[in-house]
Parts: sequence; C-alpha cells; structure tokens
Amino acid sequence: MNFSSSSDEPTLGRPLARRTLLGRLARTAFGVGLVPALDARLATAAAPRARAKHVVYLMMQGAMSHLDTFDPKPGRDEAGETGAIATKTPGVRFGEHLERLAARSERLAVIRSMGTETGAHEQGAYLMRTAYPMLASIRHPAFGSWALHALGKLSKDLPGYVLVGNGNNHPGAGFLDPAVTPVPVADPSAGLENTTRPGYLSEKDFERRLALADRIDRDFKQRHRGPQLEAYNQLYRDAVRLMGSVDLEAFDIAREKPAVRGRYGDSSFGLGCLLARRLVEAGVRCVEVELGGWDMHRDLAESMSEKGPDLDRGMSALLDDLADRGLLDSTLVVLATEFGRTPVMNENAGRDHHPAVFSCVLAGAGVKGGVVHGASDERGHAPDADPVSVADFNTTIAAACGLPYDEEFVAPNGRPFKIGGGGTPVGAVLADPA
Amino acid sequence: MSPGFNSLPGSKRPRTSPPRTAVRLGVALLVATAAWWSPARSAERPRQGTATKKRDRAAARDSEPRLRLPAAVMTAPSGPAFDVARIDRARRPAVAAAAAEIDRMLATQRDERGVKPSPPLDDGGFVRRAHLELGGRIPTFDETKAFLDAKGAAKREDLVERLLESPDFVSHFYNFWADILRLTERPQKDIFFEPYLDWVKRSIADNRPYDAWVREMLTADGRLLENPAVGYQLRDRGMPLPYVDNTVRVFLGTQIGCAQCHDHPFDSWTQKQFYELAAFTAGTRMREPGKGGRAAAGDVDAATAKQLRELQQTIRENIRAGRVDNGLRLFVGANLAGVGFAPRTLELPHDYQYDDAKPFDPVRPAVLWGDVPAGAADAEGRMQFAAWLTDRGNRQFARTIANRMWKKVMGAGLVEPVDDFREDHPPTHPALLEHLTDLVLELDFDLREYVRVLVSTDTWRRRAVVHDATSGAPFQYEGPVLRRMTAEQLWDSILTLVARNEWAFQRPTADAYADRAGLAFTPKTTYGDVEAAYRRFTDTYGRAAYQRQLQKEYGYHGQVLVRASELPTPLPLGHFLRQFGQSDRESIEGGRTTATVPQILAMFNGPITHAMLERGSVIYDEVMSHPTTEAVDVVFLAVLSHRPSASDRAAALHELRTASTPAVGCGNLIWALLNTREFLFIQ
Repeated sequence: MNFSSSSDEPTLGRPLARRTLLGRLARTAFGVGLVPALDARLATAAAPRARAKHVVYLMMQGAMSHLDTFDPKPGRDEAGETGAIATKTPGVRFGEHLERLAARSERLAVIRSMGTETGAHEQGAYLMRTAYPMLASIRHPAFGSWALHALGKLSKDLPGYVLVGNGNNHPGAGFLDPAVTPVPVADPSAGLENTTRPGYLSEKDFERRLALADRIDRDFKQRHRGPQLEAYNQLYRDAVRLMGSVDLEAFDIAREKPAVRGRYGDSSFGLGCLLARRLVEAGVRCVEVELGGWDMHRDLAESMSEKGPDLDRGMSALLDDLADRGLLDSTLVVLATEFGRTPVMNENAGRDHHPAVFSCVLAGAGVKGGVVHGASDERGHAPDADPVSVADFNTTIAAACGLPYDEEFVAPNGRPFKIGGGGTPVGAVLADPA
Repeated sequence: MSPGFNSLPGSKRPRTSPPRTAVRLGVALLVATAAWWSPARSAERPRQGTATKKRDRAAARDSEPRLRLPAAVMTAPSGPAFDVARIDRARRPAVAAAAAEIDRMLATQRDERGVKPSPPLDDGGFVRRAHLELGGRIPTFDETKAFLDAKGAAKREDLVERLLESPDFVSHFYNFWADILRLTERPQKDIFFEPYLDWVKRSIADNRPYDAWVREMLTADGRLLENPAVGYQLRDRGMPLPYVDNTVRVFLGTQIGCAQCHDHPFDSWTQKQFYELAAFTAGTRMREPGKGGRAAAGDVDAATAKQLRELQQTIRENIRAGRVDNGLRLFVGANLAGVGFAPRTLELPHDYQYDDAKPFDPVRPAVLWGDVPAGAADAEGRMQFAAWLTDRGNRQFARTIANRMWKKVMGAGLVEPVDDFREDHPPTHPALLEHLTDLVLELDFDLREYVRVLVSTDTWRRRAVVHDATSGAPFQYEGPVLRRMTAEQLWDSILTLVARNEWAFQRPTADAYADRAGLAFTPKTTYGDVEAAYRRFTDTYGRAAYQRQLQKEYGYHGQVLVRASELPTPLPLGHFLRQFGQSDRESIEGGRTTATVPQILAMFNGPITHAMLERGSVIYDEVMSHPTTEAVDVVFLAVLSHRPSASDRAAALHELRTASTPAVGCGNLIWALLNTREFLFIQ
C-alpha cells in the first residue's frame, strides 16, 4: 500500500492487493464509522472479534518503576521504601500508592514480564508507541494513528485522535496521512484553545480572509510540494471544520460537576483522564493522556508519593465512569511506559533505567480483568515467566481492536510493516483469544 | 479609542481623531474602526485606582488614545546590553574561496547523478532567508526595502556580515544551543540556572572558539552563582551515567547510552566501554555540604559546614511550623549548588553479565578511541576526558560540529541524525564531510566564521527544495532544504511585525542575578541573614515576582512580547512557542516543526496574530505612514519580504476596495498573509 493520501502509486514490489487494502479501507471508512466488509480477508480478520472501538492510552513518561507500582517485592531490599497492599485479586499485590486501582484489580490485566532492549527514553517511548525501533530513515505511526487510519473517524467534526499532555517527541502519524495526526491538548482545563473567531469578525469576513490567504498562497503551493506542506494544507482544512462545531463542548471539562472532577483528582493527569472520557463519549476514536515525571533517579519515595496517587485517582475514575456509561465494553484502556527501573536503589535514593523487565496494564474492551500475566524474578530484575516484548504488547492491543495485525504492508522505506510490530498477541489477557 | 485594522460593528467605544501620521493614508482607514477584540477590554480596567493614577490615565486619554500594546515595546529600539564580537571584513576573499570549494564538491556529485541545482534566490528571498537563518526573524519593512534598493555587487556580503555581528544572531544561536543543551531555568527545583543561561548567551556573543567553550563546560568548578559554566555538568546532577551518554552524544555524535544497561545488538559499543568512559568523570561531586558526601565546590571550611547544618535544621523547623515557605530551602540549596571533584573508582554494575569482567569489578578509565592527549595524562579524570573529547586530534569532535552546523544552515546533515554517527548511517558526501571537518579545524573552531562560509556558498543562495528525510534517497543539495520556521523564528518574526523595541527586555545577566540571589555562607551567617537574602531574592528574581513583572511591563493578553531567547523557559505547554514545537528542554534537540491543528487555530484566532493589527504595532505604523496607494506593497514587503505579483496586487486591492472599510481590508490582508504557507516556510 501507499501511505500518502495523494497517490495510489505502488511502492516497492509488493502485490497491489496488499498495498491498497488498508488505504482503500481507510478511504471508505473515513468519517463513516466502523469497518465495512469490503474485503473478505479483511472482514474475517477484523470484524467478529472486534471489541474495542476506542483506545485510551495512558503513557507514563520517564519510565515508571514497576517495583513501586504493579510489581512490588514486599520484604525484599529491592522494595525500597514503597509498601505493598493487597488487591481484590487474590494473591496479587500493588504498590501502596495504588489503593484505588487495587480495589479495581478485577478490571485489570497486568503484564509483569514486559522487556525491551533500550534504556534511552526517546527510543524507548518511540518503540512503545509505534512497536518499531527508532531509525533515521523513517518515522513510524503511533498506535493511535494506525487505529484511526484503519478504523476511521467516528465523529465528523471532532478529531479522531487527541493527545493530552506534552507531546514532545511523539511520533504522531509517522508515514501515514497527516489527517491521522493527533491533535495535542496541552492543558486539559483549557481544552482546545482559539476555536472561536475574534468577536469583531463576522463569519463572512473570516471566509474572506481564508479565501484571500488561499489566493495569495497559490504560487508558493505550486512551487513546493512535500509531506510537511501537505500536512499543513490538510490541517488548515481540519481547523476550519472544527471551528464553530457544536461538538467542541466535548473539550470543555468545566461542564462536569465538581464532584465528578473531584474523583479524578485535580492533577493535570486526572483532568486529562476526565477529558479523555468526555472525548470518548463524544466519539473520538483514540485519546492518549501523558503523565510525566517518572524518571526518578533521585528521592524516589518523595516523587512516588505524588505520582502514584495521581495515576491511581485518574485511572480509577476513568475506569469507573467508562463502566457506568457502558463504554468500557467498547473502550480499551492501556497503561504503558518506556521501560522499568533498577531493583537496586542508587546512592541518591532513586532508581535508574532498567529495560530488562517492567509492567504494563490493559483494561476494558477486548481484554480480561483480574489477570496477571507473566512475572519478574524475585528481585524484579528480569522476566521469570512468559516474557512479553513491546511488539507482543502492541499486537495484543491491535488484536483487542480487531485490527489485522498479521497483515503485512510495505512502509515507504520498502521494509515490511505490520500493525503492532509483528508480535504475538498475549492470548491469556484477551477476552477472545485468536 | 485605539482603532486597529478591524472593526467591531456596533461598538460603543468613543472615537478619537487619528494621529497625525495617519493623515496621509486617508481618514477612511480609521473612521469606522474601533476596538476590535473583546478580551482587550478587560485589560483596560484600571486595577489600582489611586486618584493620581486615575487622573494620569484621564489625561493620557485626552491627549492621545491609550495604546493596548505594552508601552515598553513601542519605544525606540534600545538595543541589547551586550557587545557582539566583530567580523573580520578583510577575510571576505578567503570566505568566498572556501565557499567556492564546497560548491565545487557538491556540483561534482550533482553532475554525476544528473541533478540540476534549483534556481538562484532573488533579492527578496535572500534578505528574508538571511535574516531568518542568521538572525532568527524576518527582516523589517525598512531592512527589506533598504536591501532591495541597495546597489553594489557586495550587498549580500554586507548583509551577511552585519547579521553575523548583530544581537539577533546571538539570540538565534542561543535558541539553537538551548535546544541542544536543554537549557531550562530549573533543571532541578534547587538549581537556579539563570546565570548559566546568560553565560551561554555571552559565549555566543563573544564568539568563543567552540573547543575552548566545550572544554570549560566539561571541567568548570565551583558554585553555580559564581562560576556559571558549571551549569553544563549540573544539568545532569545525580545522573552520572546519563551525563556521559548525553555529553558523548552532543559533542561526539555518538550514542553509547544504549550500552548503559547491556551490550546493544545494533551498536558497536559494549557496556564495559561505556563504564570505562564514565570512569573518568566518576569523581565529579555535586552534593551539598551537610547533605552527606563531600562538599561540592570544596570551598566550605569545617566551621562553615557546621554552621550550615545548624541553619538547615532551623530552616526545616521553620518550614514545618509554617513560618516560612519551602522556597527558602530551595534558595539555600541553589546557593550551594556547584561542582567539585574528588577521585573515585567506578565499579561495574551488580548485574554485569559478560565474561570479560565480574559485577562490582573496579573500572579503569579508557577512552572510546585514540588516546588522552599527553599534556593531560596526569590531570584529574574530568580534565583527561575533556582534553580527549575536545582535542584537535579527535576528528570526530570537529566532524560532529561541522555536520551539525551544516545541517543548521542547509537543512539536512551529511550524516543523519547528527548525533548518531555509525556504520548504518554513512555520510551522503564523505569527501565533503572530511573537507568541512578540516575547515572547522583550520578556522580554529570559530563556528561563526564557519557559518559565514556556508551561507556564502552558491548552494545556499539558491531556492529551497523539498526534501523528505524519510524518502531514503540521499539529498543532493540542489539548494537548502525547505523548512518550516522553528517556533522561535516564528515568534520572533511576529514580534518583528509588532514591537518596535524587540530588545525592551533581556534575561538577567549572571552578575545581576548573583547579586540578587547570591548568599555567601560563613561561620557567622545567621538565620536572619538567610531569610533577608531570601526576601531580597523573592522580591526581584524569585519566579513569581519576576513573571508578574514581565506580564506587567511586556504583557499583551497574557503573552510577554519579548524575544524568544529572553522568555522564561521552559514555557508552559499551551504557550504559542510550545504549540509550534519548542522543546520542553528535557530531551536533547526536542524542538519540532511538525504541523498540528492548535497551531493553525492560534494563527487564526490567537492573540499573537492580532497584536499586529493593533494600533501602534510596527506594521500598523508602517502602513499608516504611507499613502493608501502603497498600502498593499507595504504589507507584502513587511510580511513576506517581497512586492506582490501583479495578480496578487490585484487580489489585495480588490480586498481593500470591497471590505467594509479600507482599514478592515488592510487587516484582512495582513491576516491573510500571515496565514499562508509561504509565511511559515523559509523558501
């Protein structure tokens, strides 16, 4: 397939049927809804087991310590200062700061045997979000862009993919069409800003301005064509469509009752989770919410006592609200991070980078709850059972969304490419394993 | 009331007579206009209503319409308070010859592949690119016009030389380095980085040789407030291994960080090599006295250290009792932050898993390639590391910066990414890369002179071309790469259209900051002394007071109208600069130029775009001081740095004629030009 929106020219040497499959799918599905059965092969791959229509992806930036959250080692030196608490799932313990999630463990599938090769943040986060290692010659799409590309938008005016948080180094749409670029929201309280015309300007005058800009830009656009320019052209159209849409109120968390906001906590992450819930309700396909500050090289105990509760409140309230609205049956919630942290505390009372083993969590549509898959060894140093690679993890997400994860495509650099990175889905956590 | 280029129908604002400068343009431009942007009104409400202030305000209203742009940026340009090293004009022929050689090498490879260079840039394109790439902003209307009207064969050289010794150059290259060095004001809560940020800026203004500059950063000693150069090492305080990883990545274009945890399959570096290199700097000490471990700078005697411990105890108690805020603890910490050195042996990690050594084995320092220069062989580890890294004989050091600055100027590195040299990333032009490395060495690491050569190439003076870095095809430099402005270039360009005095504000100098934030500890320092010093600080450079003051003097609807290099950093996520991809200053070269919807919404509807439609903005005054018939040309020259084509002129004139008033039409035209791709991209 060819990943650019403007051309159907075949790329290097793959059969056309494969190349055009997803492109055709995307075009047909765009703004329409779920996958139509336009190809028998695809239909069998995608439709019946497709559970998750939405994905809420919670990214713990900086590398979340597994030992202080979802994989505690009580009674050992490696536990550090963080205590362990019982969860609703018999025999499973979490770090002491996750008491609300512990009470909801029957909804969670915890994977404790994640492992990766890279201990560098940028590369690790890129790998986690795209399932592919970072290379100079190509930019891969983040999972949300893939899902949006393959499944299409659910709302006409609203973006299909929203990123709440920092957004630095996010791979975005990668080599896919710029239309599936996440729309960043820096501050969940402010929502999407500058969506209304200045008061002095009539709609007619606004259109005049746009038409004039377009007119004057004609020469430049004829002279220069390229992906980055095309991205801007596309997003100008998106921005205009978004302005004045009634659906924009989905971005306004001020419409929630104080009691509801209270349950999410007043952290930026908590409010981001609240925004994610509103967006899912309004038909946004994928939302990523970032929680930074996990790079705890120093004074881990102090930092954990802030980050842990932020995560605990935000994610718990999100799960509760989605469940109350019946949306957890169609929404997959993912908690991911770039790698783990060293079992041995360093001299600054912190933990350093440790890619050998770490934990991630899935919940909601398409996955089982009350499950712990895999284990780290007694020190939390390396996987002890059922190792899960980053590609396996991403493939599991793809499977839960009903995406054709074993279909091979050709990326613009000529290399084969699979949704989820060509891993094996973790059957033990899937509601309907393949 | 202050009219802008827009009209708010039905506004009840009182009208005022136009200023005299406007008369020539025609009364029609102003008559129907009034305040235009509703949030502006709240800014007008008097806040502190003393009688005198009210009287003054009323008087000001009577004599002249009150301006909504901050007055400080509308005064005559003040110029920055620092000198910039002069350019040697006698070197013009040598620069031209060096540039010609580069062109020859590029042309050879282009010819071999049958690639044609892109057409030469016209004067309008040149004046814009030169200002943006050397000064970080678009040229002003006057600068553009002067350049277009200038005669003389050497006018491009004149312009380049003038820009290279301008404060704009310093500001622009400060932004460039800030992205690489992760310059932020609080790398940790109790490290106040302002003196270091100023030191970096001054190093650029002084055009210090790059090798000496880097060497000083890697070896500086002492307290941050006294020796700001220690900031580079402090940036990674508490993370000695990432420090080595970052340093090698930035200055040697080599990524060994993956080997931090274990041998990396895609890389040639082993975990052992990583630890051997880190062993040089293992003795770097950044701990505060009284906090365990050795003193940082080693300049605190035992009696002072004892007094400090007691003071810190008192401070803790007072904070706990709510008598003083936690900021005091951070303030004291910041005054102790610094770097020292005491030899220490590094050990292999507890989980070392290879056969060539055992966990906890002591590691002997060893460099990645070559040798530690003989002159430094007996120096402390840190000095050896710095001497090896910056040595002229270590070609990778010169090669890395040659390639990095090449990318800065041309838009694509000969090796990409510029900080990841390895077998998998071969240079597109190997001979040229070695030639450029030689050039950097010949110029004794004078990076500005190197940039001068690169922008003197014929290649750079051609029209920009689209290059997709992920296409896999090696770039042939038909011209520089077409790039979107960086966030800082865009911000500073908009500022150029708004603020007459762009340099109304500069971040504090290291000395000024140390004067307000510095506190020297002696055995006699009392708690009262500490608290008094803290108050003096919070009243001035304490972040809350500082930001309040910035807003008060330079604020326009929450946006502080000063150069990007002078703004607090990192900026909050929703800031215009962050929307357009300015880095959070946590990752190396975190800046981005990718498109997002909020960027476009900010350009459409945000306050920054509208600042220039305000009366008193540079472009407003410029249009006003010309006859109406010239308005269209003035707007084009000011915003896009060229005169309109015949058909664009016709379209613009049509807009002016058919809008509800010519003023509204003019506002629409400015807005339209700002919202073109042509404005955002550097042709």
